[in-house]
Parts: sequence; structure tokens; C-alpha cells
Amino acid sequence: MIKAYILTTLQPGKSDSAVDEMRKIKNVDSISIVAGEYDVILRVQVKSLENLMKLTNKLQMIDGIKRTTTQVIEKEITL
Amino acid sequence: MKIRKKYLFYILAFTSSIIAALVSAVDATISSIVITDPWIFSLSCFLVGIIISLAISLLLSIPVKGYSLGSKIIDPSFKRLRLLKREEIKYHLLAGMGNAVLTIGYLSLLSILGDPSVVLPFSQIVILYLLALESITEKNMPTLTEIQSSVTVTFGAILGSISLTGEINIESLAIVFLIINPAWCVFSIYQRKLKLMRINGRRNDAINIRFWNVVFACIFTAILVLLHDFLMNTTYLTAGIAASINHFKWVSLTMGLTFFSYVFYIRALGIGKASITQAVRASTVFFTIPFSLLIAHLNIIPPFSTDPVMILLKFIGIVLVVLGIVSFALTLVKAYIFITAKTGIPIEETLEKIWDIPGVTSVAVTTGQYDFIVKIRTRTLVKGYERIIRRLEGIEGIKDYKWQSILKEWEEI
Repeated sequence: MIKAYILTTLQPGKSDSAVDEMRKIKNVDSISIVAGEYDVILRVQVKSLENLMKLTNKLQMIDGIKRTTTQVIEKEITL
Repeated sequence: MKIRKKYLFYILAFTSSIIAALVSAVDATISSIVITDPWIFSLSCFLVGIIISLAISLLLSIPVKGYSLGSKIIDPSFKRLRLLKREEIKYHLLAGMGNAVLTIGYLSLLSILGDPSVVLPFSQIVILYLLALESITEKNMPTLTEIQSSVTVTFGAILGSISLTGEINIESLAIVFLIINPAWCVFSIYQRKLKLMRINGRRNDAINIRFWNVVFACIFTAILVLLHDFLMNTTYLTAGIAASINHFKWVSLTMGLTFFSYVFYIRALGIGKASITQAVRASTVFFTIPFSLLIAHLNIIPPFSTDPVMILLKFIGIVLVVLGIVSFALTLVKAYIFITAKTGIPIEETLEKIWDIPGVTSVAVTTGQYDFIVKIRTRTLVKGYERIIRRLEGIEGIKDYKWQSILKEWEEI
């Protein structure tokens, strides 16, 4: 399993519709609207790097998403 | 489809509370007119419980359009009833033991007090035990709000548990504080651990957890009953088996309802902290009253007093419980912190130091622009600065960090 955070920046005025589209995508564990340098942080879990590429591609097709940065998780400690 | 985690959490916890209130009324009826001994009733509950839980779980395993019925209506993680994995067994042993002790304690209390609206509020004090345990296990000191809300819920529960017939019983208080509440803590903490586990790449499901919990609880109850028989020269084991056969309909009614109450409770546990779930579930106190009125009206339990002072005290108790729950729910700040690490310092060392900070719920080492992505949870922003940022700034391996407050969040559950 490959886990990653995808940090996205949205076009002003399109955040609601873009988030609605993101919620339809499979393999997304969580979607957080944040305040700061980025606008939305997605946490995803896919079987392979190829699937990660497909997922990122789907995200980039959504109208309103300006930029995405993918951070693949190498190691994680969680509660 | 993702929904706001918060809403699903409240729906699940409240549904579980309403069913639990109904169950307590059915239990009160059974223990007052059908099976009066708590040991016999406990054993028959789990014996019948295995059959009922197995039947419901098999029914929920029926595939509908490629998905199981259970995954459509109860828990999306559920595929079918399955055998246990080795790593689950130790948690199931502990949760099963907790449930067995809890059930015997609860039914003993019910046989002493009779009225479920008196019995249930007592058990809400378990929230204090849970908070203390979470402070130790989740390395998270309770904040003033958490303590304030817990105290409010506790005092509310004590007032709410005043019997309208005006009695207070020392034996029943001892059962609550020494048996029921510690057992409930063990039970809910290990069920939460089971729910958060990943089995075959997917989240563990509430239906399998409940079924196997009943199986383990039955084994422990049988052992406890056998011990009781051996030490006290009683014949509860045979009486329990006989009661399961003779009163199958009554016991299966309570166990069928309990199955759904717990399945929703376990799902809620997978979403929120055990103490918060418990706080929401405290609303059972509220929902028990109409059921208690009904069974008192049917002369199953003694009728209530109409003394206005008693009614006022009970009402204040309920208001306090609800207020405590609301203040719990409204104060939680979550954020991501993106960290860039300094070169020349081992990543593992920095990872451990970040993980040691109270309030950190996950730390991920990542590739790309940032070296660590940390998720934190705090009750107030002030605490976030005092407890998290100050500690973070003290870590040698950190070059730079960026704080991103979470404004709204959806999660796949």
C-alpha cells in the first residue's frame, strides 16, 4: 500500500465545487480544508505508484484546482 | 462518498444510545419477571447472544450487487463474517473479559435497583476513568475544558441517577465504581483498538468485532459462573443453560437489540476518542426515562414518586449531562504542520522527538518538498502554541515549519 498527502491550491471562488468533486474520488482517506499556504490537503491510499499517478491525474482534471504537490509517506507513526 | 466525520459520529452514538435505553427497559422487564438471578441472566444472555449475533452477522454477509448487506446498511468496512487474525486475539480476550464482568455487574445492579433510569446514569461516570486512561495511553493531558465537561457530566449523572422512589444504595455504588466502570473501560478501550486495526488492507469492521466479542464474553462468563458454582455451591451453569432454552424469545429480543446498539457504538468509537463517544452515549440517561415510565406504568417496576424536588433534581442532572456533552463536542482544534529537516541529524531521531510531543496524532516521513507531515489535535489554540509549537522549536533537527489549521474535514469511514 502506498500512502501519500496531496497538497492542493485552488482558484479563488471555486473551492466548494472543487471539494465536492474531490469527495467523489475513491481511495481518498480524508479531505481537509486548511488555512495557510495550501487550500486543501488530501490523504490517499493506493495499491501502486501507477494508481497514485491516476489519482493525481483525476485531481488535476477537476476544474478549480490550480496546483498539486504530492508527498509520498515513507514511514508513519500514528495513534 | 465522504461525509463530515462529526455528523456520522453523532448519528451513530445517538442511535446507539436510543437502542441501549430500549435494551435497558427490556432487561429490567426480564430481570423483574422472567429471569431474576443476574448470574443466570448473564450466562443465558451470552449463550443466546452467540446464536443471535451469528444469525444477524450471516444475514448481513449476504451479497447484494457485489457488496455485503452489512456494508451497505451498517459498516462499509464489513465484507463477511470471518475467522479472527492472530493479532486480534489478545485484544478480543481483554474486551471479552471486560464485557463478561460488565454484564454480570450491570445485571446485578438492575436486580437490586429495578429502574433502568437509575442504573444507567451511574455508569456514565466511566468517562472520568476513560479520560485518565487516555491521558496515559494517548500521551494527551486532559485540558481544562475536558475536565470541566467531565465533571459536569459526572455531577449530572449522579443527580440523574437519584431514584424517584427516593432510595440510594451503598452496595449498588460499590458495584458501579469497582466492577462495572473499570470493566467498561477495558471493554471500550480494546474494542476501539480493534476498530482501528487494519485487516487484509481494510479497516476492521464493527460486525465481526461484535460477534467475536460475544463469543469471548460467553467463554469468560461461563468460567466466572463455574467458579461461582464451585465456591458457593450453586448450580448457575445448568440454570443458565436451562434459562437460555426456556426463555429464548425474551433473551433473544434483548441480545438482538444489543447487537445493533454495540455495532453502532463500535463504529462511533472508531471515529472519536473513547471518552467523547462515552460522553455522547451518556444521552442514554435521557432516552431511558420514557421507557422507565412505560414499564412503571405496566407495574413491572415500582411506580415513581411525584415529589417535585426529586423531579427537579433529576431534570437538573439531565441538563448537566447534555451541557457537558455539548461543551466536549464544540472545542477541538486540528492542524497539519509541515516540517523541513536539517541535514546531518538522523531522521529517526527527529521523528521520535516529534512523536513525543503531546497532542501529536500522527507523524509521517515524506518525500518531496517537506520531510515530515505532522497532524495535531488540541483543545485550544493557546495550548497548541504552549504545548506543541514551543516543543517543536526546541527540536534540533527541525529547520523550518509551517502550521496549517484545519477548517473543515471529511473522512472515509
